[in-house]
Amino acid sequence: MNCSGNWHGGRELILRLGVSMGLGLLLSAGSVVADDIPASVREILSTSCLECHDAETEKGEINLEKATIEWSHPEDRERWLRVLEVVDQGLMPPPKKGELAEPHRKKLLDYLDARLLKHTEIGGTPPRRLSRDEYQATIRELLYLPTFTLPTGFPNDTELHGFNNVAEGLVLSSPHLEAYANVAQSVADEIFPPVEPPPKVQRWEAGPEDLVLSFSAAAVHDGALRLASRSVDIMRSCTWPSRIEIEHSGTYRIAVDAAKFLAGSGRGFDRAMLLEVYARPVSATDRSKVGDFRLLNTIEVTQEQVQTSTFEADLYKGETVLFRWSNAEMTHDPPRVHEAFETLARHDPRFLAAWLKVIFPSGNPKKPRSTAPLRGRNGWEAVARHMADSELDLTHASMDSALAKAFFAVAAKGKTSIADCLCSYYHTHGPALEIHRLSIEGPSKLVQSPADRTRQALQFKITGKPRDGQDWEAFVRDMLARFLPRAFRRPVSEDTVDSYLAMARRHAQAGNSPSECMHLLLRNILVSPRFLYRSLASGPMDDWDLATRLSYFLTQRPPDSTLIDLAERNRLSITRSSETGSQKPEYWVIRREAERLMPKVRTDPMIQSFVGQWLGTQSLHEIMPDPKFNFSPDDIDLARYETESFFTAILNRNQPMETFIDPSFTYASIGFVKRNYGFTPQLARGTKNNAANRTPSKLQRLAIPQGGRYGGLLGQAAIFMTTANGVDTQPVVRGVWVLENLLGMEPPPPPENVPALTPDTQKAQTPRELLTAHTADAACVGCHQRIDPVGLVLENYDPVGRWRTTWPGTGEPIDPSVSLSDGTQFADPTEFKAWLVENIDLFTGCLAEKLMIYATGRLPNYAEQQEIKSIVQQNKARGNGFRDLILALVESETFRTN
Amino acid sequence: MVNSLIASLTEGLDRGCDRRHFLRSGAAALALPAMEALSGPDPAPDGPRNFVAIGTYLGWHQNAFYPKQTGGGYEMPATLMPISGFRDDFTIFSGLDHRAPNGHGAWSNFLCGKAPKSHSLDQVIADAIGAQSRFPSIQLTAGVGESNTKGGNAISFTRQGVALPMIQRPSVFYKQLFVSKADRARSEYLLKSGRSVLDLVWEDAKRLQGALPARDRDKLDEYFESLRGVEKRMGRQLETIHDPIPDPGYTLPNYDPITPNLQIEAEAIMYDLMALALETGSTRVMSFFLHGLGQVFSFDGKALGSGYHGLSHHGNDPAMIRDLVTIETAHIHCLAGFLQQLKAKKNPAGKSLLEDTIVLLGTGMGDASRHSNANLPTLVAGGGYKHGRHISVDRSKPDAPLLGDLYISLMQRLGLEADQFSNASRNMNELFG
Repeated sequence: MNCSGNWHGGRELILRLGVSMGLGLLLSAGSVVADDIPASVREILSTSCLECHDAETEKGEINLEKATIEWSHPEDRERWLRVLEVVDQGLMPPPKKGELAEPHRKKLLDYLDARLLKHTEIGGTPPRRLSRDEYQATIRELLYLPTFTLPTGFPNDTELHGFNNVAEGLVLSSPHLEAYANVAQSVADEIFPPVEPPPKVQRWEAGPEDLVLSFSAAAVHDGALRLASRSVDIMRSCTWPSRIEIEHSGTYRIAVDAAKFLAGSGRGFDRAMLLEVYARPVSATDRSKVGDFRLLNTIEVTQEQVQTSTFEADLYKGETVLFRWSNAEMTHDPPRVHEAFETLARHDPRFLAAWLKVIFPSGNPKKPRSTAPLRGRNGWEAVARHMADSELDLTHASMDSALAKAFFAVAAKGKTSIADCLCSYYHTHGPALEIHRLSIEGPSKLVQSPADRTRQALQFKITGKPRDGQDWEAFVRDMLARFLPRAFRRPVSEDTVDSYLAMARRHAQAGNSPSECMHLLLRNILVSPRFLYRSLASGPMDDWDLATRLSYFLTQRPPDSTLIDLAERNRLSITRSSETGSQKPEYWVIRREAERLMPKVRTDPMIQSFVGQWLGTQSLHEIMPDPKFNFSPDDIDLARYETESFFTAILNRNQPMETFIDPSFTYASIGFVKRNYGFTPQLARGTKNNAANRTPSKLQRLAIPQGGRYGGLLGQAAIFMTTANGVDTQPVVRGVWVLENLLGMEPPPPPENVPALTPDTQKAQTPRELLTAHTADAACVGCHQRIDPVGLVLENYDPVGRWRTTWPGTGEPIDPSVSLSDGTQFADPTEFKAWLVENIDLFTGCLAEKLMIYATGRLPNYAEQQEIKSIVQQNKARGNGFRDLILALVESETFRTN
Repeated sequence: MVNSLIASLTEGLDRGCDRRHFLRSGAAALALPAMEALSGPDPAPDGPRNFVAIGTYLGWHQNAFYPKQTGGGYEMPATLMPISGFRDDFTIFSGLDHRAPNGHGAWSNFLCGKAPKSHSLDQVIADAIGAQSRFPSIQLTAGVGESNTKGGNAISFTRQGVALPMIQRPSVFYKQLFVSKADRARSEYLLKSGRSVLDLVWEDAKRLQGALPARDRDKLDEYFESLRGVEKRMGRQLETIHDPIPDPGYTLPNYDPITPNLQIEAEAIMYDLMALALETGSTRVMSFFLHGLGQVFSFDGKALGSGYHGLSHHGNDPAMIRDLVTIETAHIHCLAGFLQQLKAKKNPAGKSLLEDTIVLLGTGMGDASRHSNANLPTLVAGGGYKHGRHISVDRSKPDAPLLGDLYISLMQRLGLEADQFSNASRNMNELFG
């Protein structure tokens, strides 16, 4: 069992990156702010800290033997912040060195707190590039391309502080900028495509050998292609020329040679045979239905001699024609499949007798053979052999025999295999519709395809329509004045409009078409830093930046028209206490907007992105549970569904934060709970107790007992999966994960001289024994006395979150009891959960900080952490609702400052 | 991409920039997926350099694919008759698979190993050696099958499990390899107009930067460095845009054979273009997916009794098996044309392209009639191996090698330091070398 996982390796780099890059930016350069440490504080440091952290020993590379603190120096500030944290959490001084007397402790903490608050200003997000998802959504909105997706191979973003939308992590490199330029070019190509030279008139000819034979829909006999079925499934009934593909949308002259084929059957077909001609895209799937295509013409085929029908029709780029005999006697489509069988059986008893022989080899009407192997001509040949057999037994070949009735019942089921056989009958016996030849010539004139029309509408959306008599430059200026603020998410100066206009003018003067000028403008605008970055200012945000932050935070999209309108009227940032008569500043507009934009369903981008990254549900599918757990891919989807729906419900219903840990409900199927949590859940209150709701696979809200092993973030399959590797559990990884993501106590990376723990499984019987190695080593104990208990107390949950009582392999019973460094004891995970509910502020503070990292794109600094803490406190006093918490965070200075 | 990255890094050093500046460039590099390619392996000097994987959706009928005898001197099975002239250039494997569950969903296991949609063999190889050519890898298909929603409509998957799109039109593949004059004019226009406007972006970004506090200006430096990189690259592309394009001496038909019934025709053309791609060094890694749906093929003017998919569910009907094998033999006939060209094309050192290329042909479907994914018919040609045998593995033995073990051997031959693939962690070097 691997107890240390990969934790010692991976995070370290990112963390150090964060330190070297992030904190350096917190203070404006230039001004030096330094404090002499008061003698009383130096005294405390000297007696309690300097034994290890003096200039000489520098244990853990921490030297506190200083007379002054240079607050403007990021490394210094970071060092003293760390001192405050470890003393506050009781980690330092280490227990064996004796405790810090309470008055001393308080004095030290008060001093550091006051100085840190004084010297840290709120704000600090550097220019923040759009993340991959934000960029894709922004292109979609800005250019009205709702289905636009980034090309495969578009660079991914780096995760920092747990999220891929943190400004410092969103680095830019030249291959990356090139990827942006390529996307810009391809969308410009799509909206303003290069002009094609006028097409030449072409002529295509197709004989039966050039027409598609799909399954048994068509067959070639005597130089003609014959159709038999009127099924709406084109692959069962239709044919089309596969070597013809229209290159230029236009009007074409189409000529078809067709005839009735009646020979052999001795049966007539008095009506005209109706040959429908459709336009189908060559690339359409063969599983299409005729209704998916455009009907061009219906030809009436009235004679057995070949007749030529000519007509004109519009064909669009990428299309070819498709033929269907719409009034054929037979069809593949239930419920009428048996009708043709009955007609033919009535007409020819030998037909019926042969089929009975094939379908009921034993003569027992209750035992029809499988019809699947009868597919295609091979199946038909079996029937034909019997029909030709002079000894064929006609005893049961009457319409009302038991066998015949059983046969028609088989036929009525509409199995494609026996209908395909019937096609072969019609192909050889008639009536069938023959196609002899097809020609297409054109285009006689060009037409706009629907794709062209959509594109033109799109162009007008972006450029606007030119006004009567408006000259081109004025038109481009209007376009820029409207489009640039949308692209850059804020008003632009006249100068900016002018510089783009000048570029378009130069391009036009060089002989390029207006469309090419638009193409160029678009390519250019989409690589501008004003488009690619947000947070391009520091300090309190103006309305525009605020609208942008709020919108990307809650919807992952650029601001919508409502937000833009409010920003234009300065309604988001300005406090309007006068409107409510209150003395205190109020932010009811931004609050109302936050309410409006708040995600509502599990699939909303914010839920997918935030929960997906925070709780790891995004990467659940990368975990491949060992087959021994019998945890199917469907179960993985359900695990994700459960956690995401749970989060969404607490948000929607503004439930108290404690609900995250100890809820009375979950979102799953009864089957999932039974399989993985080992009990049969009750339906949620308000759910009708009927058969439909009791279906084991139905996804719904289910009631589960509070205070138990399951339910909440410490009792859901997704969480236990994300903190394991699919094969075995890793108490250290789980412990670190819970500390980081639920308790908000991110342990520092392990010191560099400590190798990843290589467990000696020879002697140790349990992970608990393995982990004692940590607490035996003084270098490890500081962190691992926090990490290990939190991991070990959850050891009853296996890698997919199912309850177990023994450790795999050794079969030793699992003892989940642990004690924290402060002496708190838990006998099992339910006690741990109860403790967390008691201390819910830890969790709330952690989640609030995650939300703020995600929203602001920066790690909150000391002052901001204090603001978040006070929001957590105030929210608790107001009922601790989760939705209220998010709204309070949105109103905070931290959120509203760049 | 990698080169320009190295260039930008060293440039930074040349300018004598400070350590933080360098750190930031380093951080930029961390975000680039292609950085892994920097440490790409070199194959053994005489080892093969190219890899081609070919897979059918509907499998290969085992009785007509596997020889009755094992070892050398076996009697050529029906399906493989078209390549009987190359018998010393390929090896047949029976009894190998990924131990994956049955069903259509598992087709995509062919190159992925046990779990569908995981990092496919060709992409593992492309990630290691692909950056050394113009296209790190190319994915092709002939024929049309189920739509994507039905799953299984892909052969190559990235490390992240993203199914890579496949080129279906020979004309598109051809255009990628051999840019036409018109396309070149367009590229030149785009490069020239694109580069000229970078000045405007630059000026605007400078204006923007000027209004920012110091700490934010640093962040925007990333943008300027990137812009310089892009500009340089465009400059290099413009310099080479008038370089002569090799005339492939190859004429495409005036239509793209993309409908299912023209699959065999498309296949033959794709193989021709694949040989040209390898010969011109345009890429070193390709995958080729032979799809299959209900299309009825005609050979010598005579239509087969049923559609391809229908025939694959032959239910042991001899007539249907005969028609199915006719199609599969047609696939191998196309392969013969490919092997022929690879063998004929020699590099300056006199080594044939076939020796320089490992060609893997197989499927994720062991027996389509039963949707079984066990015992996957597999064939390896070229790559400088000692060929000519039928290597049969008794998959009932607990230590029997897996298909993934063969993949590990192939990767090692290409110079990758591989000792694991999906559920396999050994190799087949002792059986096959």
